[in-house]
Amino acid sequence: MTSSFKQQSSNARTNILAKLKQEVEGSDYSKLPEEPSYSYPELAQEELLAQFIGHLEANHAQVIPLKEEDIAKIVSEQLKQRGISKLLYGKNALHSEQMLTLDDDIAVEAYDFTLKGNKEHLFNNIPAGITSSKAAIAATGSIVIWPTIEEPRSLSLVPPLHFVIVEAKNLYTNFASLINAQEWQNKLPTNAVLISGPSKTADIQQTLAYGAHGPKELIVLLLK
Amino acid sequence: MSVKSIDPNESKYAASARNFRDNVTRYLANEELKNNFRGAMDYLMDKRKNSFPDANELETLREQCKLIKQRCLVKLPHLLEQLEVNLEANGIKVHWAETINDANEIIAQLIENKKGKTVVKGKSMVSEETALNDYLEARDIECLESDMGEYIVQLADEHPSHIIMPAIHQNKKQVADLFADNIEGFDHTTDVDALIGEGRRVLREKFCHADVGITGVNFAVAETGTLCLVENEGNGRMCTTVPDLHIAITGIEKVVEFLDDVPPLLSLLTRSATGQIISTYFNMISSPRKNGEKDGPEEVHLVLLDNGRSQAFADEELRQTLQCIRCGACMNHCPVYTRIGGHAYGTVYPGPIGKIVSPHMLGLEATNNLPTASSLCGACGEVCPVKIPIPKLLLRLRTESVKGKHDGPQIMKGEGSGRKSIEASIWKGWSLMHKYAFIYNTSMWFATRFRKLMPNNLGVWTSVRSAPKLAPKTLHERVKARNKKIPNKVANNAGSK
Repeated sequence: MTSSFKQQSSNARTNILAKLKQEVEGSDYSKLPEEPSYSYPELAQEELLAQFIGHLEANHAQVIPLKEEDIAKIVSEQLKQRGISKLLYGKNALHSEQMLTLDDDIAVEAYDFTLKGNKEHLFNNIPAGITSSKAAIAATGSIVIWPTIEEPRSLSLVPPLHFVIVEAKNLYTNFASLINAQEWQNKLPTNAVLISGPSKTADIQQTLAYGAHGPKELIVLLLK
Repeated sequence: MSVKSIDPNESKYAASARNFRDNVTRYLANEELKNNFRGAMDYLMDKRKNSFPDANELETLREQCKLIKQRCLVKLPHLLEQLEVNLEANGIKVHWAETINDANEIIAQLIENKKGKTVVKGKSMVSEETALNDYLEARDIECLESDMGEYIVQLADEHPSHIIMPAIHQNKKQVADLFADNIEGFDHTTDVDALIGEGRRVLREKFCHADVGITGVNFAVAETGTLCLVENEGNGRMCTTVPDLHIAITGIEKVVEFLDDVPPLLSLLTRSATGQIISTYFNMISSPRKNGEKDGPEEVHLVLLDNGRSQAFADEELRQTLQCIRCGACMNHCPVYTRIGGHAYGTVYPGPIGKIVSPHMLGLEATNNLPTASSLCGACGEVCPVKIPIPKLLLRLRTESVKGKHDGPQIMKGEGSGRKSIEASIWKGWSLMHKYAFIYNTSMWFATRFRKLMPNNLGVWTSVRSAPKLAPKTLHERVKARNKKIPNKVANNAGSK
């Protein structure tokens, strides 16, 4: 059975490619028209930051500018305000050590289990998670999550509250300039994600509701 | 949900597309539906307009993205091969399918190999195209839609009426009734936050336990071997992160050459679709779980589907159909779609884009009413982010639909199927009449003299219009008579030439 569907797929491949090639084989690519591109105005760092924060807030994310040494304090405060007493984090990130100095009544757990076999735990017992980020985009108010072994992709997805740390020095004008500056072509991870707010939907009568399937709240800790 | 019988030779949508005229009559009589669509389309048009404050930027982006897609189409076979090589190098398996049935079979087999029983689905119009849910459910595999709109549509045993907002035809009261009928313990409410909360509760439970995640693809990047998904809800990320097996299915036209091609396309896609500068999530998948990684699927597969796309590809004009990035702006701006709604078309893809893409998937015989259901107002072509000349393609499809027998190669499946001998002879007569003055003058003389014999009932034409009345004399005759009366004017006119 398995071999027959592989054979079928291989025949389909041959047929589809043959049909397509029959039409365009030998096309002179040098004759393709030049593609225009729009030049966006250059903005100063302060303007980029304002744009970044503005877009995120418009998308219902909370942005808190802070100093690196205050991360534990702010995270503790935010959790307490919401009556949350548990946080999941990843090791070996910029903020990881500070997670051990959160207020005593907050239990912290490092993500050092495999998701397989622990799905119920992640879905049902973890009210909040914190991750670092790879970069940020001013033009769209987006944060780039670049999951690693220590900070798995579900850490920014499953817990209903997501704290993300963004370093202002990693802010880029737009998506195109970011891809080129960091040369993503050669090093995309298993799963890179651009996040621009808490999860949302307008699928019922065009009424916006937050907390569709992913985090209900996104708190951006912005290190200037 | 009931298991439907499956005809392996024809999509279930061919039959519903054939009923287009009856569907239209039925949906036009539904005031609630019309109000739901009017409200939604006004909202989406407004959102789009506000997201493009700079007309210059919009036009530059449209030209750029049109050329990007055209370049990727000229290189399509080469890019598909490159995509396959790079995906496989990253550990993602690639499968090819010419028909919807082949695609479904591949997916069912992949699920069976993993002994999967439950599937959660991210939004995928291509899987609607293949009627994958029916196929899997007939094999005792539970297949749950997880996009909120798709979930609602599935509960109602319907299919999406819009490619971006699947449940746009329902209002919150209807959704609340539907939840009350289907979800145990649901307290009836029309509060949207509470409704979404209920959907979230049910679906998170499913994400947690599903064996398989199935999604579509918005862009497949050949250069890096990356699958990109655009979404707001997070269900796409859930489907591609939590289950052990992820299967993506997409049309062969979704491949782009460079990672650099993605930012302008993404920007136009989200702004044209919902007026968002970017979607909440832009998910880029480049491999299955790597050694040491704690989550993500063990296996990732991509199914590349043809289903009529290579037919559109073979004709340079019709090939432009494949530039589409599925934003839905053409339907949001279509006066016909707004009035009849998405289900009237009977096809997976409704609205203007549906009219030009469905004939390639279902054949012109099943769909030859669709290209005629347009006032050719041109709005769809004007808002299309990749500049597909939709009105021009509608005219082309009308021509293909009534084309006579010819010796050349077949351009479309079902071409000429809309041809009626009486209509063809009328046009032949019309053409002769305008070629030869004698025939023209004689027939017009008779027509005007016997105009009283013209019936008041001219079939479909007079069902919503009054019958045309011929004048007692032709314009030629009247001008001749007038020129006889004022010979000076004739002389002046002649002199001025």
